[in-house]
Amino acid sequence: MPDAEPLPDVPASPARPPPIASLDGVLRPLDPRVIRLWRLIGLIEVGIICAAAAAVTQWLQPPIPLPLLLAVLLTLGLIYVALRPPSRYRAWGYELRPDDVVVRHGVWWRTVSVVPYVRIQHVDTRQGPLERMLGLATVVFFTAGTVGAAVDVPGLALEDAERLRERLALLSGADDAV
Amino acid sequence: MTLSETAAGGWSGPARRLHPFTILFAAIDVGRRFLLPAIIGGVSAGDEVGEIVRWALGLLAIPALGVAIAKYVSFHYRLAAEELVIDSGVLNRKHRVIPLSRIQNIELRQGLLQTFCGVVELRVETAGGGGETEAVLSVLDRHDGELLREELLARRRQAVAEEHVSLTGPLLEEPSATLLAHLSPRDLALAGATANEAGLIAAGLIGVLQFVDRLPSPIPQPLRELLLPWRQEGTLGVVLLLLGGVALLLIVGWIVSVVGSMVGYHDFTLERTGEELRKRYGLLSRRETSVPLQRVQSVRVEESLLRRPLGLASLKVETAGGAPGQGQRGGAEAFLPFARKGHIDRLVAGVFADLDYSAVRLRGVHPRARRRLIVRYSLRLLVIGAVLAAVAGRTGWLVLGALPIAFGLAHWQYRNRGYGTAPGYVVARRGVFNRTTWVIPERKLQTLHATQDPFQRRLGLGTLAIDTAAGGRVARIVDLAHAEALAFASALAARVPEAVREGDRRYRARVGPAAGAALGSKRG
Repeated sequence: MPDAEPLPDVPASPARPPPIASLDGVLRPLDPRVIRLWRLIGLIEVGIICAAAAAVTQWLQPPIPLPLLLAVLLTLGLIYVALRPPSRYRAWGYELRPDDVVVRHGVWWRTVSVVPYVRIQHVDTRQGPLERMLGLATVVFFTAGTVGAAVDVPGLALEDAERLRERLALLSGADDAV
Repeated sequence: MTLSETAAGGWSGPARRLHPFTILFAAIDVGRRFLLPAIIGGVSAGDEVGEIVRWALGLLAIPALGVAIAKYVSFHYRLAAEELVIDSGVLNRKHRVIPLSRIQNIELRQGLLQTFCGVVELRVETAGGGGETEAVLSVLDRHDGELLREELLARRRQAVAEEHVSLTGPLLEEPSATLLAHLSPRDLALAGATANEAGLIAAGLIGVLQFVDRLPSPIPQPLRELLLPWRQEGTLGVVLLLLGGVALLLIVGWIVSVVGSMVGYHDFTLERTGEELRKRYGLLSRRETSVPLQRVQSVRVEESLLRRPLGLASLKVETAGGAPGQGQRGGAEAFLPFARKGHIDRLVAGVFADLDYSAVRLRGVHPRARRRLIVRYSLRLLVIGAVLAAVAGRTGWLVLGALPIAFGLAHWQYRNRGYGTAPGYVVARRGVFNRTTWVIPERKLQTLHATQDPFQRRLGLGTLAIDTAAGGRVARIVDLAHAEALAFASALAARVPEAVREGDRRYRARVGPAAGAALGSKRG
């Protein structure tokens, strides 16, 4: 590579992440049902936090009275559950390219991972109980790497997940020692 | 002459025992554990209980010795066509089979007494998390130990090549050794002296202490007013005493470092033999380790702050499954603890034969990186200043006087970051206090991660992490333009399949026709 001048800045619009360079078109989104999944999980988390706060106030004196504290927590929690899943959904994307698979995710901390097919050791599909309820699954591919040795793509429709897994297994070929 | 040509027994024959001196060393061990406490106890204690304990220990020594002899008699090892087989254990028999192709590292160790007796200890490690020692043959006749190691290496090469092919090929010829480096005692002294910053700090402190008694006069008035409350309480004296104590510790530590380096790495020799890197070193405890080149994932050149102006560096290789020998002293990870700058390209070429390290040109990261670093360091100083002000009053804000240093440091960090490529390799560099340059062959690349934290997003910057199968420090290019990070990641990933194929092709060509066409593309 020849020495290059520093490239001009690429301002990232917070609403839509920029497409990966040298890629035709935008990345594939996840199944929209995953928003429901994340909202469901979020509600459970909010519930747990409220319950924990209520339990803790048995021993410690809260700065504000318990009903008000719970109301505040609940409001914040509901705003979080309403707003975060859609923006997470928009941030997720994946694409199967000729020699590798690209996965992008993250709202505040963005990550784009490029995994060459020849490096994929094996591919799993996973389903938690909530995912099973909604007909979704997560595909995980494992490499011999150490940082992020497992790259996963959540919230895929079950059939899509199976197809992706099969396709990756085909593209990556037989497993071997490093 | 390979061992398979020797007449008596031969390695494919019946199982062998360890050297009879094993009993001698076991006896010494027993003596140390049972008889020594018994004797010492006899000298000091006089009461009844002490007497009984003494006699008990002394008597226990006899069966302990018996057990050691039994262990010796029951230990057998055998080198089969593709495995090392070890049978051991007196009551619980253990039958251990180690496939030769899985052997990561073979080490010969010789303690002082062992050298005197002409015996060695052979240790075999296999791949897989941390490279734990699979088998220890202690002790073998020195000549036998060396021959066994050669035979293990030769057969391992063959086993690895033939792993997928059913036919057996001819035994590969013994490759010649190329000397890569040899460290003289002077080199080792210099290495020990520059190994850490302790020496520098010690020297600095000594210098400060020299001037301490001259302090009262040249200190400007306002500064003296600041120090006055301390002096009145005598704390200045205490502080000086502490400083003196610390300086003494550092000096002693430094001397230990120098002597330790000269003794521990005595007569350090590094060779490339065919497909292995071999190191030999040590005065009191002589060690020989070998690392298969095929397992090397990357090379790291580390130049510490102290060594850089002297043109010195330290070279490390990272192998798959973490660094073998991790947890051992001077393991294979540090493949050359000390190197002169002019020799680095030859040494890197010893591992990666097709790389011309001196021709690699690094490009810098985005200039905005400097801005980000300045902001980060200034914020830290502000926080420290605020904390000190809360604790010590107005004088706490004096720490802000270090802002120019922070600016300089930020600029320096920025200047030391870079990345570049050579045909078949990617190079990344960062760090001020320990400037590290990673050299990673394309055929060893795993996943590439381009990340952005919220601040980087605002500035259009990103970080690229280059993953390999080795643990240790991951190569990261921090604060380059995000679009550039994506493009670079994309380009590198695109080169991986071809690089892996080419790497396999060349390995097969070097290793011989017995390898066959069945090497998988995953082989790192």
